[in-house]
Amino acid sequence: MRPMNYIVPESAEAAVAILAERGENACPLAGGTDLVVDLKHAPGNINALVDVSGLEEFRGIDETDEGLRIGSMVTYGEIMEHPVCLEKTPEVVAASHTVGAVQTRNLGTIGGNLVTCVPSADSAPALMVLDAEVTLIGINGWRRMPIEDFFVGPRKTILEPYELLAEIWIPSHTLAKPSSFYKFGLRKGQALALVNAAAALELDGERIVAPRIALGAVAPTPIRAVKAEALLDGQAVDAKLLDEAAKIAVTESKPIDDFRASKSYRRQLIRTLTRRVLERSVEIARERQEKDKLH
Amino acid sequence: MLVELTVNGESRSANVPPETTLLKMLREHLGLTGAKLGCDVGDCGTCTVIVDGVSVNSCLMLAGRADGCDVTTIEGLATADDLHPLQQKFEEHGALQCGFCGPGMLISAKNLLDTNSEPSVFEVRDALAGNLCRCTGYTKIIEAVIEAGEMMSQEQATV
Repeated sequence: MRPMNYIVPESAEAAVAILAERGENACPLAGGTDLVVDLKHAPGNINALVDVSGLEEFRGIDETDEGLRIGSMVTYGEIMEHPVCLEKTPEVVAASHTVGAVQTRNLGTIGGNLVTCVPSADSAPALMVLDAEVTLIGINGWRRMPIEDFFVGPRKTILEPYELLAEIWIPSHTLAKPSSFYKFGLRKGQALALVNAAAALELDGERIVAPRIALGAVAPTPIRAVKAEALLDGQAVDAKLLDEAAKIAVTESKPIDDFRASKSYRRQLIRTLTRRVLERSVEIARERQEKDKLH
Repeated sequence: MLVELTVNGESRSANVPPETTLLKMLREHLGLTGAKLGCDVGDCGTCTVIVDGVSVNSCLMLAGRADGCDVTTIEGLATADDLHPLQQKFEEHGALQCGFCGPGMLISAKNLLDTNSEPSVFEVRDALAGNLCRCTGYTKIIEAVIEAGEMMSQEQATV
């Protein structure tokens, strides 16, 4: 690797200031599982790394009245072991478990993964169906937005120059919401998703309430299948209806042909995975109803 | 920059350029060549070491990041008298051929057994998913890890 300056800022604000002062030659360093590889092979003009991985403002997992706050510099390994995540966002844990392998999950951060912004990022669909929001800090201070708005294109986020992803928030009303995540890759370990899918919904009797469907690796960014959601909203659960929604989700996607899979194979996967995550979410919602009856 | 860390229970330090990876520091500055340089991009796992209780690809971690940390490498497994149970079982099962993946494979397995000495086959596969072996296939490795876990539980029970 070419000679680098390595800077550990004292605060998030200081990190932003250092990045702004150094301009395009400086780069924030999170877990390094993507960036260190890039620096070895295609470093561009980067000559300074601002290590934001230990910043207090970006660390920790806390449950508040507002919801669950996950610091952007929390690693996938930490999410997988955190009791609140295991209990209240099990599908975010499941999605985390499908990323890379043990060693990369212990280095790689959820925020770093979202900022890299590849269409196949596994945590994205699992967070999107829980109406997650993100907070950003930049030279003009903090801002907050739905996670969907954060993704702009392949490897392109809404981040302004010198702006950093600080936190992911899962609102309290979606904590423990019946949800399901499914990733289809060519192997179980060390594989990118050909397609990944997540769903979340509540059941009021047999009626579907607040359905959410999100898909990854099917478009330039992870997407919500809002037309499929609209079809389900308020309707009674029915196998045909779930499959119909899965079919609509296919029409909302724009999968590509690449060396991992063809467009037509991905379309098949979208339909199958969407149906599966919906069915599984319904199953979990029903189990919840049964449990509530007993209490 | 000065990086001070504990390696296999011993305090070590070195002055390294900031862009040095932990792997390079271990191998070239501290003379610990057990962890290997394989793919250098975090896929093969032969550079695996344990940092503060979790296994990482040392080829992807800058040495500065490990400052003040507790690091275990393959050199920390055996004692002067005895091989680690994992090493004994790998030997018995012929789990390694060329041995290049061994340091990482053993460290990942140790990291698993430290928290779960009776893993299922699935758990072993999951724990070793980031360690690639191109010679033997994985069956003997998995058998060796499971037996080493049993051996470690028995040793614990007799202490």
